[in-house]
Amino acid sequence: MSVQTGRNRVGKNLLIHLLLILGALVMVAPFVWMILTSLKTLGESTQVPPVIWPTSLQWENYTHIFEMLPFYDFYWNTILTTVVKVVGQVFLCSLAAYAFARIEFPGRNALFIVFLSVLMVPGQVFLLPQFLIMKELGWLNTLTALIVPGLFSAFGTFLLRQFFMSLPKELEEAAKLDGCNHFQIYWRIMLPLAKPGLIALAIFVALWSWNDLMWPLIVNSTPDKMTLSAGLAYLTGEHTNMTNYPILMAGSVLAIWPMIIVFIFLQKHFVEGITLTGSK
Amino acid sequence: MSSQLQPEVHAAARPKPAKPLNRMKRSDWLWAYLMIAPTLLGLGLFYIWPVVQTIYLSFTKWGGFGKYKWTGVDNYVLLFQDPNLWIALKNTLIYTVLAVPASIAISILIAVLLNQKIKGISFYRTLYFLPVVTMAAAVAMVWRWLYNADYGLINYLLGTVGIQGPRWISDPDIALYAVIIVAVWSSIGYNMVIFLAGLQGIPRSYYEAAEIDGAGPVRMFFTITLPLLTPSIFFVSITSLIGAFQVFDLIYLMIGKLGNPAAESTQTVAYLFFTNGFESGNGGYAAAVAVVLLVLILIVTAIQMKMQKKWVHYD
Amino acid sequence: MKKLVSLAMAALLVAVAGCSGGGQSATPSDGQKSGAATGEKVTLTYALWDKNQMPAMEEIAKKFHEANPNVDIKIELTPNKQYWTKMEAAATGGTLPDVFWINGPRIIKYAANDVLLPLDEQIKADGVDLGNYPKALVDLYTYDGKTFALPKDFDTIGLWYNKKLFDDAKVPYPDETWDWNKLKEAAKKLTDEKKGIWGIAAAPYGQDNYYNTIFQAGGSVISEDRKSSGFDKPETIEGLKLWVDMINDKVSPSAAQMSETESTQLFESGKVAMVYSGSWMASAFNGNEYTKDKVDVAYLPKGKENTSVIHGLGNVIAANTKHPKEAWEFVKYLGSKEAAEIQASKGAAIPAFNGTQDTWVKSMPNFNLKIFIDQAANAKAYPISKDTAKWAKLETDYMTKAWAGQMSVEDAAKELAQKMNELLAQE
Repeated sequence: MSVQTGRNRVGKNLLIHLLLILGALVMVAPFVWMILTSLKTLGESTQVPPVIWPTSLQWENYTHIFEMLPFYDFYWNTILTTVVKVVGQVFLCSLAAYAFARIEFPGRNALFIVFLSVLMVPGQVFLLPQFLIMKELGWLNTLTALIVPGLFSAFGTFLLRQFFMSLPKELEEAAKLDGCNHFQIYWRIMLPLAKPGLIALAIFVALWSWNDLMWPLIVNSTPDKMTLSAGLAYLTGEHTNMTNYPILMAGSVLAIWPMIIVFIFLQKHFVEGITLTGSK
Repeated sequence: MSSQLQPEVHAAARPKPAKPLNRMKRSDWLWAYLMIAPTLLGLGLFYIWPVVQTIYLSFTKWGGFGKYKWTGVDNYVLLFQDPNLWIALKNTLIYTVLAVPASIAISILIAVLLNQKIKGISFYRTLYFLPVVTMAAAVAMVWRWLYNADYGLINYLLGTVGIQGPRWISDPDIALYAVIIVAVWSSIGYNMVIFLAGLQGIPRSYYEAAEIDGAGPVRMFFTITLPLLTPSIFFVSITSLIGAFQVFDLIYLMIGKLGNPAAESTQTVAYLFFTNGFESGNGGYAAAVAVVLLVLILIVTAIQMKMQKKWVHYD
Repeated sequence: MKKLVSLAMAALLVAVAGCSGGGQSATPSDGQKSGAATGEKVTLTYALWDKNQMPAMEEIAKKFHEANPNVDIKIELTPNKQYWTKMEAAATGGTLPDVFWINGPRIIKYAANDVLLPLDEQIKADGVDLGNYPKALVDLYTYDGKTFALPKDFDTIGLWYNKKLFDDAKVPYPDETWDWNKLKEAAKKLTDEKKGIWGIAAAPYGQDNYYNTIFQAGGSVISEDRKSSGFDKPETIEGLKLWVDMINDKVSPSAAQMSETESTQLFESGKVAMVYSGSWMASAFNGNEYTKDKVDVAYLPKGKENTSVIHGLGNVIAANTKHPKEAWEFVKYLGSKEAAEIQASKGAAIPAFNGTQDTWVKSMPNFNLKIFIDQAANAKAYPISKDTAKWAKLETDYMTKAWAGQMSVEDAAKELAQKMNELLAQE
């Protein structure tokens, strides 16, 4: 009897692994194909039946990309905007979230409802006026335009408020008796405790900032002020022979590897962060 | 969500005893306003004011380069007569109705498999999660290439088993579904993580008890797993729906090309917004599209909130 | 006291976080802050969209910099698809590049909305002779009696063909005796379904393809007074049908296929024997190992009328440039004989400056480029109106449907004409 259930278990696990591996193949295959194509010649890429393995690895495709587009600028712009947005948004949102979660003040609920309602509005509704505001401020085609609207977030405030509310109240009461003011409580006690929440938000902001397409496409018009995502979209131009897939794939690889590396190293935090939002 | 709002509401109305306390309260308030101020101002300028502005703009007509004049409801009248709006609404609806449930179903399946105490969970999780950290621009590009009917890998593989693959991204009857497949592919990892967390919150004892009652795995899934997972499903469906209504990147990059016969049958509401607002300079018209989108999302979210009581089990 | 300090600290922190975005990123963009006037260092941005012309433009910019050491030229390349989206946004935001390429369809919109600098005074002061350029091009860039651009180049369309595929199918090369019937016949003979080779790529492109045949059939795209559409004329429909028929006869890849793989790329990889395309493709075909020796170009097959479409680009200056003086000097140089010769010798495009075209023809002796110059004589101007982009979008939508067989050519053309007339009435 027990032998049989044992064998069943092995069989069941095997089946599970088989299914998971099959699924994983579907998830990973496009990336493998991306890398393989990026190392082929244009001729190889359009052969029928397809060449799976390039005969000689065309690393030139990668250098060619750098000649065509200011990819170093893309990297710098993307990294800078992402870092500033992450630090700025986490700081500002945690300040506001702390106040909402821990201080009683008149108008709190009304203000919080205003924050929440921003969450419901689709991005398209903001876009045109945001663009016009950037124009008024003279920020079009600057990195400032990419960064500033991203410093403020209703989502981030909401997420961190939920987190702060789950922390025990006793700590700050003790701190209050010690004569700490709210900023000190926030800074010295709450922030360290809220680390998982802060990291979660940081990861979300980084992911969105890195991959955002529409806003950079609209506000920044010169290639040296573009981000990777918009720069990649630029590659698929009309009448520019840009159905040259080896080059396009090389560009894609260049644009996505940093986030993938970050993800692999911070996987645990990614998962925790998503879990945090998922469990309301 | 709102239940946590309640307890503190009445706290402020408690009788205020002594003066020093009052002063302390004042300083509390001051701190609160100070801490909220930056975000509030930023949201006000960049998010709340734009909503008002968009509604205003939707009643204007744009001349060249951002000059506009008030034209009343003209844009809305034109918009509702525009066959493109109805096509876009239909496409958005098809996209939403197919992509969201498909992604949820597949994610749950994978989460359940991963939850079976097997080895290598984090390995699988990494692989399934890759598309989530990849920018839409790159995702669209590689799939365009895979889908290419002449040189693409997919049709070649189908060919080896004797199937003549379709023109995935240029056949008007197929293209939208091709995009949906990609959308599902790239969202599975994210949803799976949420479901996995939900699954891990279900006490083992429930399953043990059911096992004693002689329940098989399928029955356990439908009587225990699924009902207890409903809060996660609710969360995922509400966020995915809002996202699906705004789908733009994938379609713009995979289909949006001069002379693609599938362009019309894949345009969505957000796509209509972009082409009018930023390609043909019809800002006012685009604003009207955005307002329609806003109303649509509010309605759908309201319906979901109402419905949640019927099917979501909070314990 | 302690409280006050930390309060101040908090405020400071907020201020720092709030401004760090602005503070750090303002620096890279201040290249052109300084005054325009004299020997000060000045950087001009010059926006263009054609990668193939980059070497020539860089060379011209270098030469200009050598003559004017205080002026740096920064070239910004944006692919065609995004170029006008970008310019639209930049014009709205007042951030247009100092000098940029413009084409016929856009000129009136940009000129009429006062975002371009009229050049008449400068032209008069410096004695630039507009007679150096083809009149059709000077007229194209004149609006409301004012000149807004110096013509840069022009382009006409030729019949590019793959000699090897012609030899394989034993079809004689195209020459000036060819007409539509011969074209269709040859396309049929050249098509080899088994090998996956098509006779011609009949893509739904206006300038490359159907504008030429519309004009040849005696039709029009827009009336002379730019008030009504020509798409409902039977002649116009005839010019469109030629293409759709070739798709239906399966001597061309389908519209769907050409939306996945560009028609010129199908040609470059030997999948298609003939393609109508512009003189601008010469340098790309010349730089491609496969097409370099295998392809050549011939006169467009004749229709009822012996004509084709001509279009040319212009260099314009943004009205709000901070350096109008330097920008004009640069545009003047771009329009000079010397710059035209550089363009021509690099094979970038047919220069608009009369008398320099021969250098271009000789720059790629493996192709019969003379046909492009010859055809210019009888060519008709590219159709435009005040807001060309609005109806051009409609045109694309309807033509795509006709090409894909979702609508008959007649229905598509007539419906388009009706919608286009509505738009033109609003201009």
